[in-house]
Amino acid sequence: MIECRNLTKSYGVLEAVSDFSLHLEEHEFLSILGPSGCGKSTLLRLIAGLEVPSKGQVLLEKREISGEKIILPPERRKFGMIFQDFALFPHLSIEKNIAYGLSGSRSEKQKRVVELLKLVSLQHLASKMPHQISGGEQQRIAVARALAPRPRLILMDEPFSNLDYQFRLQLRREIREILKHEGVATILVTHDQVEAITFSERVLLMHKGKLVQAGTPVEIYQQPQTLWASSFVGEANHLSVEWEKTSLKSPFGFLDVPAEIGKETRILMVRPEDFILVSAPDDEANGIVKTVEFSGAAQTVGVELKSGEKIQVSGSPHLLWNLEDPVKISADRYLCFNSSGDRLDGFTTK
Amino acid sequence: MKSSVHSSGSWNLLTLSLALLFALPFFSLIVTAGSGGENVWGHLLSTVMPGYLKNTFWLMLGVGSGTLLLGVSTGWLISMTEFPGRRMMEWALLLPLAFPGYIIAMVYVELLEFSGPVQEQLRLWFGWQDYMDYWFPPIASLGGAITMLSLVLFPYVYLLARTAFLQQSATLMEASRMLDKSAGNSFFMIALPLARPAIVVGVSLAMMETLADFGTMQLFAVQTFTTGIYHTWFGAYNAPGAAQLSLSLLTFISFFIFLERYSRKQQRFHTQSSINNAHTRYPLSGIRAVLALLFCIFPVLFGFALPAGLLIQWATESWRGVMLDRFFSDAGNSIFLAGVTASLGVFIGLLMAFGSRLSKRRRIHWAARLVSLGYTFPGPVVALGVLLPFAWFDRTMDAWMQETFGITTGYLLSGTLFILVFAYLVRFLALAYGTAESGLGRITSDMEEASRSLGKNTWQTLKQVHLPLLRGSVLAAGMLVFVDVMKELPVTLMLQPFNFSTLATRAYGYATEELLKEASLWCLTIVIVGLFPVIFLNRQLRQTAPQY
Repeated sequence: MIECRNLTKSYGVLEAVSDFSLHLEEHEFLSILGPSGCGKSTLLRLIAGLEVPSKGQVLLEKREISGEKIILPPERRKFGMIFQDFALFPHLSIEKNIAYGLSGSRSEKQKRVVELLKLVSLQHLASKMPHQISGGEQQRIAVARALAPRPRLILMDEPFSNLDYQFRLQLRREIREILKHEGVATILVTHDQVEAITFSERVLLMHKGKLVQAGTPVEIYQQPQTLWASSFVGEANHLSVEWEKTSLKSPFGFLDVPAEIGKETRILMVRPEDFILVSAPDDEANGIVKTVEFSGAAQTVGVELKSGEKIQVSGSPHLLWNLEDPVKISADRYLCFNSSGDRLDGFTTK
Repeated sequence: MKSSVHSSGSWNLLTLSLALLFALPFFSLIVTAGSGGENVWGHLLSTVMPGYLKNTFWLMLGVGSGTLLLGVSTGWLISMTEFPGRRMMEWALLLPLAFPGYIIAMVYVELLEFSGPVQEQLRLWFGWQDYMDYWFPPIASLGGAITMLSLVLFPYVYLLARTAFLQQSATLMEASRMLDKSAGNSFFMIALPLARPAIVVGVSLAMMETLADFGTMQLFAVQTFTTGIYHTWFGAYNAPGAAQLSLSLLTFISFFIFLERYSRKQQRFHTQSSINNAHTRYPLSGIRAVLALLFCIFPVLFGFALPAGLLIQWATESWRGVMLDRFFSDAGNSIFLAGVTASLGVFIGLLMAFGSRLSKRRRIHWAARLVSLGYTFPGPVVALGVLLPFAWFDRTMDAWMQETFGITTGYLLSGTLFILVFAYLVRFLALAYGTAESGLGRITSDMEEASRSLGKNTWQTLKQVHLPLLRGSVLAAGMLVFVDVMKELPVTLMLQPFNFSTLATRAYGYATEELLKEASLWCLTIVIVGLFPVIFLNRQLRQTAPQY
């Protein structure tokens, strides 16, 4: 439905978005995930028509809406947008905020407003003013207002980051359900990896204006394209390795990796849950327990390897470790990266 | 311990008595208005009132719409668009504030009257002989007064509208665009309604100034309440009548005070803090940029540049002929009065602001608030309110002295500089008090309590903590009072001692004798002094407003 081709937006010498391409299907939920300042909000605003691209195009149903020749103004794109600060109009009541984007007769508008208030379960707030309701309520009203004119696409810019953590999870689930129910395609921009992973079907990882990786949440977590991606999404241990004759020498022993990959490999990435941690006598041990963080459902164990490197291992909460315990570490899944931080493809661990 | 910090009884007493002292004119007006023996009110109603009401109504409507149109349009252009010259116009649009209404009126009378250069030139071009041959808009008229006041008062609206537009969250306008409204629609549905409270505040201020204006109306012979009070007192010595007119004028003014206060409250909801405040200005180019620039230049040209240029020209032409010793003595008088009033005003304003802050009692806050009303009182009202009780005091004193000691004291206080300075204080104390109060607001009560807990008493705390922190606001307050006294006309005119004049009253005196060119040196000096608060205001805006 929406397609971006080689979008670039530069402010002087700074390229906020560089050569970015994406496509979005009907009804799809897409997240753009990246640290703050990576250009993800600018990308969203380019799609919305609030910014003019320096290069590249935005297409809607294969028709150009932003490009060198044409810039369709935002009000004619029929996209809904939900802002970080909600952007409810402070001088209009809740009802009037929702009705703002509607056209048609008064009774039609009224009908749609009631429908949406019901959808977000806030019928009782109809005549209140924005400053009289809570942050979470404001956000749900912002969703209702964006949905009111039946947009084909909803754009959300960090919509949950102004809310308390506890509340955020619940509201995120509710709003996701509402949007699914309405069947509207959605692009969510966020710096919160959990939010991106739980909210959407597909995630685009963005770093310094560029697309790093696109994929399902599982793909991005399990097969990160770069070292940066591996540590931005989830926890990652990075260990230096060296190729010796026929195998890869790691701090926890020799690994069986095909030669064409092994020769290029400089860094090994292991997720904390992919380490195997067993108790071992001193002479067999390759590490010592240095820290233990118990957090109920899991236990994070900090181990100092004989090589001097420190790693984080997540272990079962049932097997409790003590400081200075000698341990033997091995890994059943790992990924290989070359000297420039790119993943070396072509082999998978079991 | 706690009670000794807060219940400073002597402070309460001081604040309260100061407040009552400066509210004295108000009470004296009420008493006098009620003392009218014959049916003064009925007489006023049937004779002058309809004229005053009609003129005042048209004046309000005219100046209201004039300042609204000029102020909102320039405010919007400066805050929301980008065009060559915009940065310069941003401060240039404040310049007309430097002109008191009566001075710009004098300049335009000289320029546009029958024997002025404009009409002379027209007669020369078209061969007209006398005023029977053609029609030229009369400058000394209601329309002329509306134009003059709109030109010098619109910066109030401009300033407040501009700030309001800048403070609006940019996301609100974007949200509106995302809800299928065009930029133009969004302006009228979002930006303008959100700026409305600020615009109302600006227009109310301009309206209050208009209601209080004396000089312009007097020069243009437009009869309003304010000039009416002057005539009723000076022409007919009808004190109850003048007092009653004053009270009816104050009723009008209180409506605008209420409107202003109410709108300021509304503003709180309308300017919520926001993350994304970085506005993208609409870039204007080509003919639209030229039009925007011309539109902004127009009020600056007619409200400042042209009259200032003419004053400079006339002053250089005529300064040899004027009596320079007279000028220097007038300037000396003005500076002396302004200096004394500013120092006293700042001192008393600080005392009251500090006292009102220390006190937890509503009564004290209310009393302190009362003082700030003086600023909204037109000059003739203040002058009358001050004159009446002092004259009574002089008479009573004289009678008592004659009776007891057989000596006559005559007019002890009336006709002295003391009563003039007191009247200035009634009128301008609000400026000093308001500035001191907002300055104090930035000093937390923790600081006060820390100082008290370290063994300093109230006075020592005031001297060692507050004053150093307040220096900036105190200087600003002093400057504002100083400049306002320099510009002041009606109070000085009504209360100045015999054979005494200031820059403002002498300039006005020349103007009434149609010696406008002779007055130009006096006028120019007042305008130059008037520029200081404008420069100060502009600097403050630069510091507080985010830079784009």
